[in-house]
Amino acid sequence: LARSVQHNAVRQAHRKYEPDFHDKYGNLVLLGGAAVFTVVWGYALTQIGIEWGFSPVGRVTPKEWRE
Amino acid sequence: MLASRAFSLVGKRALSTSICLRAHGHAGVVKAEDFSLPAYVDRRDLPLPEVAFVKDLSAQQKALKEKEKASWTALSIDEKVELYRIKFNETYAEMNKGTNEWKTVLGGVLFFLGLTGLILIWQKRFMYGPVPHTFSDEWVAAQTKRMLDMRMNPVEGISAQWDYEKNEWKK
Repeated sequence: LARSVQHNAVRQAHRKYEPDFHDKYGNLVLLGGAAVFTVVWGYALTQIGIEWGFSPVGRVTPKEWRE
Repeated sequence: MLASRAFSLVGKRALSTSICLRAHGHAGVVKAEDFSLPAYVDRRDLPLPEVAFVKDLSAQQKALKEKEKASWTALSIDEKVELYRIKFNETYAEMNKGTNEWKTVLGGVLFFLGLTGLILIWQKRFMYGPVPHTFSDEWVAAQTKRMLDMRMNPVEGISAQWDYEKNEWKK
């Protein structure tokens, strides 16, 4: 076992740790989740007609109301 | 027990041993379960665990342990590392090493929050009724002018944001 270590380029760790689920798929899960979130909520917040009740200030042009 | 003690005094050990054997069932000592023995553990606050990591040494490792009994200057670097690895599982650096678990956690959280958004979309489409007519653009525009005409909240509120001279919102 001591002899085989010399074949290793890295001498500090004589055991290479097998990458776990998070090493292999972590980035994918993170970006995928962020993408799903952005798409779904982007659509929900803007396209389905939810009334947010934004302030008229700077947005609405007042219109005559007296009949 | 007393009988076997008495017999051992007399010297008839064979008989007393067999009495003991029959009393306990086997060897006289209950085999210690693994979990009741001191265990090895990697902990930052426990630098010297109660037992070595490797319990059963290979022939090679046994030879190395013999060599360890002699002068340590005779040991090569690799042998020293091997001795370390017999005694310990992870180094402090390995113990403290972070993981990428947060990516999976955060990604999972965002994904399921996304699914929640789907529920909301379904609700808006199939469950909620129409928004009241007082939210239509014409109504809101007329409503806004009426609020400004009656000087609603003139100190810090909506009328304070309207420039009555220029007839536009203040910049």
